[in-house]
Amino acid sequence: MSTVYFIAQQTMYFAIPLLIVALGGMFSERSGIVNIALEGIMVIGAFFGIGFIHIFQNSMSGQSLLLLAVLVSALAGAIFSLFHAFAAINLRADQTISGTALNMLAPAFAVYTARMIQGVQQIQFMDTFYIRSVPILGDIPILGPILFKNAYITTYIGLLIAIASWFVINHTRFGLRLRACGEHPQAADSVGINVYRIRYAGVIISGILAGIGGLTFVVPTSTNFNATVAGYGFLAIAVLIFGQWRTKKVFVAAFFFGIMKTFASAYSGIPFLKGLPISNEVYKMIPYIATLIVLTFSSKNSQAPRAEGIPYDKGSR
Amino acid sequence: MRRTRLLQYEEFTSFLSSLMAILAGLLVGLVILLISNAEDAFPAFLTILKGGFTDGTKGLAQVIYFAIPIIMTGLSVGFAFKTGLFNIGASGQFTMGAFVAIYIGIKWTFVPEGIHWLVALLGAMAAGAVWGSGPGILKAFFNVNEVITSIMMNYIGMYLVNMSIVKTVYDSLKNQTKPVLKSAVLPKAGMDKLFNTSNVSIGIFIVILAVIVIYIILQKTTFGYELKACGSNKEASRYAGINEKKSLILSMVIAGALSGLGGGLLYLSGSGKYIHVLDVLAPEGFSGISVALLGMSHPIGVFLAGLFIAHLEVGGFNIQLYNFVPEIIDMIIAVIIYCGAFALLFKQIIKRLLFKPVEEKAQDVKEPVKSSVISDDDYPVKPDVEEGIQTEMGAGNESPVVDTKTEENDTVQREEDI
Amino acid sequence: MSVLFGLYQAEKGSIKINGNPVKINNPNDASTLKIGMVHQHFKLVHNFTVLESIILGRETVNMGILKKDDARKKVIALSERYKLKIDPDAYISDITVGMQQRVEILKMLYSDSEILIFDEPTAVLTPQEIEELMKIMKELVSEGKSIVFISHKLNEIKEAADRCTVLRKGKYIGTVDVETTTKEQMSEMMVGRKINFNIEKEDIETGNAILEVKNLTVKAKNSKKNIVNDVSFSAKAGEILCIAGIDGNGQSELVYGITGLIPIKEGQVLIKGKDITKEPVRKKSLDGMSHIPEDRHRHGLVLDFDLKQNSVLQTYFQPRFQKNGFIKFNAVKEYAKKLIKQYDIRSPRDEDSIVRNMSGGNQQKLIIARELDKDPDIVIAVQPTRGLDIGATEYIHKQLIAQRDQGKAVLLVSLELDEVMDVSDRILVIYEGEIVGDLDPKEITVEELGLYMAGSKRSDKNEKN
Repeated sequence: MSTVYFIAQQTMYFAIPLLIVALGGMFSERSGIVNIALEGIMVIGAFFGIGFIHIFQNSMSGQSLLLLAVLVSALAGAIFSLFHAFAAINLRADQTISGTALNMLAPAFAVYTARMIQGVQQIQFMDTFYIRSVPILGDIPILGPILFKNAYITTYIGLLIAIASWFVINHTRFGLRLRACGEHPQAADSVGINVYRIRYAGVIISGILAGIGGLTFVVPTSTNFNATVAGYGFLAIAVLIFGQWRTKKVFVAAFFFGIMKTFASAYSGIPFLKGLPISNEVYKMIPYIATLIVLTFSSKNSQAPRAEGIPYDKGSR
Repeated sequence: MRRTRLLQYEEFTSFLSSLMAILAGLLVGLVILLISNAEDAFPAFLTILKGGFTDGTKGLAQVIYFAIPIIMTGLSVGFAFKTGLFNIGASGQFTMGAFVAIYIGIKWTFVPEGIHWLVALLGAMAAGAVWGSGPGILKAFFNVNEVITSIMMNYIGMYLVNMSIVKTVYDSLKNQTKPVLKSAVLPKAGMDKLFNTSNVSIGIFIVILAVIVIYIILQKTTFGYELKACGSNKEASRYAGINEKKSLILSMVIAGALSGLGGGLLYLSGSGKYIHVLDVLAPEGFSGISVALLGMSHPIGVFLAGLFIAHLEVGGFNIQLYNFVPEIIDMIIAVIIYCGAFALLFKQIIKRLLFKPVEEKAQDVKEPVKSSVISDDDYPVKPDVEEGIQTEMGAGNESPVVDTKTEENDTVQREEDI
Repeated sequence: MSVLFGLYQAEKGSIKINGNPVKINNPNDASTLKIGMVHQHFKLVHNFTVLESIILGRETVNMGILKKDDARKKVIALSERYKLKIDPDAYISDITVGMQQRVEILKMLYSDSEILIFDEPTAVLTPQEIEELMKIMKELVSEGKSIVFISHKLNEIKEAADRCTVLRKGKYIGTVDVETTTKEQMSEMMVGRKINFNIEKEDIETGNAILEVKNLTVKAKNSKKNIVNDVSFSAKAGEILCIAGIDGNGQSELVYGITGLIPIKEGQVLIKGKDITKEPVRKKSLDGMSHIPEDRHRHGLVLDFDLKQNSVLQTYFQPRFQKNGFIKFNAVKEYAKKLIKQYDIRSPRDEDSIVRNMSGGNQQKLIIARELDKDPDIVIAVQPTRGLDIGATEYIHKQLIAQRDQGKAVLLVSLELDEVMDVSDRILVIYEGEIVGDLDPKEITVEELGLYMAGSKRSDKNEKN
């Protein structure tokens, strides 16, 4: 039983960042802008967030420090995403190229700045955020150990983001208009909606969430940030596609991949799997192979936003 | 007059926009240097610009050494671009090629000495080709976006290679591949005396050969014709009876082979390069994207762009003297790419500026000619045939300009007739 | 209409509402002035519900949160009042085209529009849906709304309109009272008097059927309607057969179906007795079919290629142009030069010109040159003179007649009445995906032809001999 709890807890560490970033991608793509720069934005968010913690961890600690770091990451991500928004919306540039450029820029920037300031690439931080057990809630049978033990506050932030995203997309005016811009911008335009503004909002939201996602990825799994998020940004895009751009499915997809990733890195903690003669590398490959298989079967009836990737030109009809 | 102007601007604007992007990137680099350490900024910047020339022939050899793999991945990405595909999987193809080259270089002792390196390179190409075919097949038959599949293949390739190295050609002390047999190292052919360093090989000639071959394929063969047609206008190529699926897959196979060859060339160069067993994607694959974009996907352009970026990289390596971090080069290149993304727009702006004089002239002529003909055009402007059909081409923004120009030029035509 | 709705800006002139001059800069302005528009191509999001589509842009909210209940009540009330049957929770992609149109109408009514513009509303409707729409419009008018109804279909105008303003080529012709004006009179205003081109054409004997089309049916992409419905005809050797019809009546899809660019639901296509229905595009071409496409930029040319590359678009794989996969550039160049000379194609750099930089007329000449030089058995030309000047038009007509004189079959699809009357030997009128008339241009008048094209007249479905 403890194995099950262990798996569940580890899965959280992997699934939550995927979930947050994938939802960020959802806002961008459903507004009509393809955003493959999520990887780069995660790096930037993590860099500034961890950097913030590193600087202030002598005077602050615990959840308040982490929460502030989350805000910093969100802000950093938002600002970085503006580059993509500007190129894609105002300049109608190729969105894949713009995204790739930002993906290249982010880690280079992180390494350069870290080494210029502190001499080494890795930014260390002390983990004062680990929650062994949430008071009261952690003692609930079954649910307690799964959700409220060996956790981080970022997990709960992630879940809140998921619920909020679902609500905003489906039940608010903004969400309705955003969806219209991604499916049929001419229709939105014809009822007086400012497509450009909505798309900016979509990209900025993806920046905020990807920034938070970057921080959320590093904190539970490491004690330093090494200018990389190991391809998580791209995995998040796969999660988005697997989840067919819908919140609930993205949630399921994120956890599916989270479990895959857990097996990959924590299988040595699972007695049953440790015994099998399967190499470590095979486990690491599983999430990616799984992605390929899943995509192969789900791309035929893709529910991708119909207008995504096509720059909106008011003049053309 | 019109003839030369047009000649100049098609190729000229492409070159011009690349140049602008480069300048922008370098400028940003300079600014970053200034922010980091104003005192040493200018000397460092100059070092970057001087690149390989700092160390004479040895420096040039270094530039060539860096250039070889990224020209190959650049050719790979550029070739795929021509067919309308984004080969972001060059990294994985490169790594697979590298591993197979090393494996053959160590394990295949039965191959005759003289051609051992050649067989290894061919193996590298095959590995890359197979790895490239994956995204191609998935896109052709299942309509899966090639960007995501390529990225997945990058990671799968990396893990697969790491695993295979440990099982077959592992140097556990240094956590890298073992050295390849002497017979598998690329011959030097006297280059080491020429450049006064052991850091050279015939690799550069193989690269040049690849550039020429790709150039010939694209420009001189029916296959190249079909690929370019598919990349430029899918509908017209269907009208022409071209099999797009076949073109797509073959294109990715060739692109994969090119990247794989790049991997082989780098690791068989005899310069002490080994694959480290780390979970890191081959950066040469991503540099290839920069090279392809900068070189406008043209084989010769890619060759020059590869040399240029290698030149910058050597410069970046050298600025460590001033205590700057070489990653600044990656930042400069990233900015160049970013600017490259809207170079297309820049080109359109120039085109529009250059075309204005012709348009204005046409409008004067319109009135007198029309009154002498009353033909029938009573029906409304043709609606789109199917929902969502766009009469737009390529970048999606050119058509409106083209259409109006068409009508105007018709009128100009009339003037010439009369 | 786009100007009225704020999508475009007028250069001259004025708009007055209730006597007051107004400026309409965007759809919001139009909306404020209570102008509403049902577009020809519906502006609906495929995966929104009917309710969401209606309220988009005018949502009732409480702190940003959608309040659908109030909206739903209003929508249902409107729906009942104007007898516009809809299902608020159905998805746009699942409902009929007729219901989609009612959603567009409700969008207008939901924003309290008083002036309702309908842009070619019946183009996509089945006959029953058209009847329903007529009823709806009369209902709206009886409630005091003003309707501007754009159409070219005379029977609909007769049924629904009180007054009719005729525009021709962007110019105002006149306004008539519909009840006291005959269809023939309106047709004449629309069509005008024309100067006939003097086309030299000898009568020749027609031979065997070259192209046979049997029971061809093509399904529309997004509706249940058949865009081409059980069409059968044959084009004979030595004949120019014209498919005449107003744009949007299925002629484009008919050609795409015959040439293989879109899939067909049912039917057969034969060339000289050989069934080519299932053949790939290239094989059809090699079997003697030439296609001068409707959209020269989309299908006919690769704009980024140069003239000589485009000249061999259909033939580059033949032994005369390539050897072992290598293009014989000299052969291609000479061929392009030959076409340029023969067909008088003008371009900035002759065979090296990038086609994108050529004028529309010359681009079209290039396509025609290429397709006719293939020496086909059947030439399918769709609106070949669209956008061209008199000289080019005349030239192309000469070419088509020359083909016919040589014993080929020519299938011409056109909207230009002149072209239809003077160039063709036989006319098939297509209306709403069906052949409604098989006419001899020598025996009918232009006005009559206009009536057929507008759907007001039909002859026996079977082809005359």
